Amino acid sequence: MNDGPLIVQSDKTLLLEVDHPNAEAARRAIAPFAELERAPEHVHTYRITPLGLWNARAAGHDAEQVVDALMTHSRYAVPNALLVDVADTMDRYGRLTLEKEGLPDSAEGTRLVLRTTDRPVLEEVLRHKKIKPLTGERLDDLAVVVHPSERGTLKQELLKIGWPAEDLAGYVDGEAHPIELQQDGWHLRPYQQHAVDGFWHGGSGVVVLPCGAGKTLVGAGAMAAAKATTLILVTNTVSARQWKDELIKRTTLTEDEIGEYSGARKEIRPVTIATYQVLTTKRKGAYAHLDLLDARDWGLVVYDEVHLLPAPIFRMTADLQARRRLGLTATLVREDGREADVFSLIGPKRFDAPWKDIEAQGYIAPADCVEVRVSLPDGQRMAYAVSEPEERYRLASCSDAKLPVVEKLAKQHAGEPTLVIGQYLDQLHEVAERLGAEVITGETTVKERQRLYDAFRTGEITTLVVSKVANFSIDLPEASVAIQISGTFGSRQEEAQRLGRVLRPKGDGRTAHFYTIVSRDTVDADFAAHRQRFLAEQGYAYRIVDADDL
Amino acid sequence: MATPSRSLADDIRGRSDAELIDLVLARPDLARPAPADLTSLAARAGTRASVQRAIEALDRGHLQVLEAVVVAGDAAGLDDLLHLLGTDDRTTVEAIVADLWRSALVWRGADGHHVVRTVPEVLGTSIAGLGAPMRELRPSSQPEHADPDRIRATLAEAPEDSRAMVERMTWGPAFGVLPAAQPGRTTARWLLENHLLVPVSTDRVALPREVGLVLREGRLHRSVELTPPAIEARTVSLVDAAAGGAASECLTHLDELAAAWGADPPRVLRAGGLSVRDLRVTQQTLDLDPEHTAFVVELAYAAGLVADDGEVVPVWAPTSEIDEWTSSEAGHRWATLALAWLASTRAPHLVGRRSTGAGPANALGPDVQWPAIRAIRREVLRELASLEPGSAPDHASLRERLAWRRPNRAAAVLDEAVEAVLRESEWLGVTGRGALSEAGRALVAPFAPLSDAPPVRGVRATAAGGANTSNGKRATRGRADRDNGADTTSNEQGATTPEALTETVAAAMSAHLPSPVDHILVQADLTAVAPGPLVGGLGSFMRLAADVESRGGATVYRFTPESVRRALDAGWTAADFTDTVRRSSRTPVPQPLEYLVSDVARKHGQTRIGGAAAYIRSDDEAVLDTMLASRDLAPLRLRRLAPTVLVSSADPRVLVDLLRDNGFAPVHEGQDGTVVHAETPRRRAGTRRRGPGPMVSPVDRPYTQTLVDGLRAAEATADQRRAEDETRPGPRIQAMDPVVTLSLLRDAVADRHGVWIGYSDGHGATSRHLIHPQKVEGGRVRATDESGHEKSFSVHRITGATTEG
Repeated sequence: MNDGPLIVQSDKTLLLEVDHPNAEAARRAIAPFAELERAPEHVHTYRITPLGLWNARAAGHDAEQVVDALMTHSRYAVPNALLVDVADTMDRYGRLTLEKEGLPDSAEGTRLVLRTTDRPVLEEVLRHKKIKPLTGERLDDLAVVVHPSERGTLKQELLKIGWPAEDLAGYVDGEAHPIELQQDGWHLRPYQQHAVDGFWHGGSGVVVLPCGAGKTLVGAGAMAAAKATTLILVTNTVSARQWKDELIKRTTLTEDEIGEYSGARKEIRPVTIATYQVLTTKRKGAYAHLDLLDARDWGLVVYDEVHLLPAPIFRMTADLQARRRLGLTATLVREDGREADVFSLIGPKRFDAPWKDIEAQGYIAPADCVEVRVSLPDGQRMAYAVSEPEERYRLASCSDAKLPVVEKLAKQHAGEPTLVIGQYLDQLHEVAERLGAEVITGETTVKERQRLYDAFRTGEITTLVVSKVANFSIDLPEASVAIQISGTFGSRQEEAQRLGRVLRPKGDGRTAHFYTIVSRDTVDADFAAHRQRFLAEQGYAYRIVDADDL
Repeated sequence: MATPSRSLADDIRGRSDAELIDLVLARPDLARPAPADLTSLAARAGTRASVQRAIEALDRGHLQVLEAVVVAGDAAGLDDLLHLLGTDDRTTVEAIVADLWRSALVWRGADGHHVVRTVPEVLGTSIAGLGAPMRELRPSSQPEHADPDRIRATLAEAPEDSRAMVERMTWGPAFGVLPAAQPGRTTARWLLENHLLVPVSTDRVALPREVGLVLREGRLHRSVELTPPAIEARTVSLVDAAAGGAASECLTHLDELAAAWGADPPRVLRAGGLSVRDLRVTQQTLDLDPEHTAFVVELAYAAGLVADDGEVVPVWAPTSEIDEWTSSEAGHRWATLALAWLASTRAPHLVGRRSTGAGPANALGPDVQWPAIRAIRREVLRELASLEPGSAPDHASLRERLAWRRPNRAAAVLDEAVEAVLRESEWLGVTGRGALSEAGRALVAPFAPLSDAPPVRGVRATAAGGANTSNGKRATRGRADRDNGADTTSNEQGATTPEALTETVAAAMSAHLPSPVDHILVQADLTAVAPGPLVGGLGSFMRLAADVESRGGATVYRFTPESVRRALDAGWTAADFTDTVRRSSRTPVPQPLEYLVSDVARKHGQTRIGGAAAYIRSDDEAVLDTMLASRDLAPLRLRRLAPTVLVSSADPRVLVDLLRDNGFAPVHEGQDGTVVHAETPRRRAGTRRRGPGPMVSPVDRPYTQTLVDGLRAAEATADQRRAEDETRPGPRIQAMDPVVTLSLLRDAVADRHGVWIGYSDGHGATSRHLIHPQKVEGGRVRATDESGHEKSFSVHRITGATTEG
């Protein structure tokens, strides 16, 4: 029995004692194959999943390394069944490969072939009724032709039945376009450079970085590496503008080279930024803007916020398998559980760094998370008790008992850039009125939004009240206080986004504050508990205080 | 040997004391009940039941040689056997034949080896896939038809298709159905006409043994395996650590099972056993797969830790023994489990399996009882113990080895059972990473020789050592160990008490169990990690105060409002709770946990519920004050709930009477809404009576020695009586053991000679008859008497028999 920092559990989780002297070495050893699930202050929980193991295989690790890492760092004997399972699972990756084969006689010159080293495996998958139609002529015992258009779907289906294919078919270079990073007065941070390198060597895949860690720059770095026309898919128009601004600032690209393809404008240029929404718009039952994907010979496709990628985009992505794809996200956790599709269609995880590590390196602000509990007045408690279940959340989270607390907090942090975030418009307007602040909701025009953001950025206004439109991809570098007054039923993703709002590095190294105001003894508090758990799992200790004690 | 024997009885009478001891040790059933003399010992050794038992215990090597002796016919010489077996390994065959002789399946005559008459019966007609001899199949056949040279010549000139047809039957089955179609019939007809096939019915034919042997080129078996197949093994490290981890986890599972069933015991099905639904609930509680759950449940039952409580509505509840078990030291707890497992005749892997015509077998139910599993368990462990420490056997080769040891068992069933035993050993920690752990070795040590009843160990080991040169050294050493083991165990059987064994096993495991920890690490996400098994008190506190989220080397607990409430319900106060957590935690207790505890405590007990049988209400508070103060009313145990309300647990009528006696004027308000305070006591079933196990005094050397001495004495007396008898004229028939009588009669049938029998009639008078028995069957003997009439004699009336002349 050695005294390692790692404890391997029978449910395939790994517990890492962070304060152990060898914790860092152990973390480095297990990071390639285990997903960090929870990172509270003392013991981090990693989980071994088939996806994680295949990710590791894709990154060139083998089962022996995995087993060795577990045995070396484990405090107790590792259950044999788990070791066997690891070896078996990893062995499944790479039994099937997708390759491109030269074919001098045909017009296309090449064909796509699914090849195996193990005949029974090929027989098994070809017997599968969803896979059979995706393949063509059988070449020999060990290979079968694949329709190039089915490359993505095939990978998706193979993963579903547990035989992930290694995609060695390579990528088209796309239309070349000169792009360089303009590193004057700034440089890619080391982890950003690692992320770019990891992606480029892997060919395609996902980079996981916390909010505020500069994902846009990783995208820019990847473009500079590809030096080809690029299609960037983002969640909304504001985010599109920010990408554009950032690219102009950080790269040799000029305004004329970057096009915006959104509801308002339809420009197709060497670098085109499109929103998911415009791509998924249907007219007469058909996707109206599918042509965009073939409008140019794209050399690189960038997906911002992969965890929000809508299902139709997955389907379209299945047809883009010959192009390099870069996914950017803060978390691989998808609330719809489609992690496997991300893996098979965009690619394996190529880079990952826990928030705390990046925070420790000073790139994101430390945060002080506080849950403030208010008691409902007796009248409201009664109303809450007799209300219909579907009404309860709204009733509890919109309690006016929260208003004085918001005011008090705003006063405490007067002068600091403060965001008040909420779900219900009535409540937001009421708060805005009491604080004398502006409101940004879905109804606010893009132009007005941009104006308010600019004013906020320059410090002209210090308080903004925003609805959930602000959840994604806005960039408010100097917000150091966030007050959350209502949310969508404890979504973990939302919590990550909101926390991200205040985690951008502060000029003066101030601590960021993140307040959540909840009504005691209601569903509001239950949902809050969920989100708090997520925060704690991300390593952010939080406090619970009563409103009276503020 | 002084004089050549003429029969098995003769052979046995001629054996030395040591040889007799070997025989009885090899076939213990001969000693129970103790036979009167050597003749009846010999007769018993020839009975079908005993021979069957002896043959079932043979491994494939011994069985193959025995088959060869049978096929070689009477007076088989060693060369015949070597030829039939197609081997030139004279020493091995010789040793095996000696083994067979020692266990009296074969006896030595002047001309060679003979099998005991019942052996061919037990082996059946189709020995090694061969058909019956020509003469048996067709009594009318000519002797030259069975002549190998004739057969060889006929085969040589056989048409192509006819030859192909018999060749298909070469390695059995030696029976065939005649083809319906014409070409096939013609092919077969040629074979029938040339006496290569023999018709047995209108459309069935048989391949006579002689033809089969020619086709097999004189060899009896397709492959001869006189020595055990080697077990492939790979060396693994950290065996004991892995076993310790598994053992620790196994103990945790039982703790959780006991906690769950103690609080909420599942029903006992009418047919016995645990319902599928309850098993699934338990499975969720333990968070294991179904088979593992069944194993844990059956293990608890085998160790007597849970039992049917025998109430009117019976439930499976932890027994009173569990409290003692829980409080003992971890190594001991494990030893108790492991020993119970080894001795159990229950096969958890059968749970959920459908037996014929019935539903799936229920855990703890009667269908899971399968006595054979005990022997298989011991054999598997014994094979594991025969490997070097730290060797994990390849499962396929281990199954092969066990199949070799027990060729009579159905291969599929055996393989499945072996896999199950290996799996269970791993769960229990008897093995770690596939290799036998130190504790497992201690566990199996005393059992190894016992399960090893079949004929003489030493010789077989020599054979294995001789043949298997690469493993030679190991095999020799193995034998030495085993022999020592055998000797010491038989001598010290009485001395190795179960307690001593438990001690040894416990000590072997204790060293490798993860040492218990006395602290936890509490984190802001309201989880607590116990980085090892927790010491008793803290362990039960954590099980009460938090939910288990993940198990293994460590345990992850999560504090939830429900779990905190559970602890408060059990009598913990918020302060004690926080204090205990703070004391046990190596890390500062996060503020949210303290907040959670105080928040739950704040609400805990906001409303209170109790039981009362009667209430007293009055608008005049002073009256109630008087009642409370009254000494005479003290037995009513009045309590004040509000200024105007008192309650009592006395019946309202009693209350009214007593108050009237004391000068009050109460009015009975009528009864409604009495609440019964239900307290759920922890149930415990009475201990299942488990004696020290069946009292079996072993058939060991001292016992056998006494037995043989007795036999010798009886033999001497019998000789003396015979001598006396000879002086009187006429055959004198003395009362004999029926087994001896029967064997005499069978011999007479086979050798076609007459016997004198004593026969008692309906009045109890015994008369003598000279008969020629023809058939012994169904308790009757058919025979022709002196007058030549065929008659039938009841065997139970025959007092004795003696051969004519």
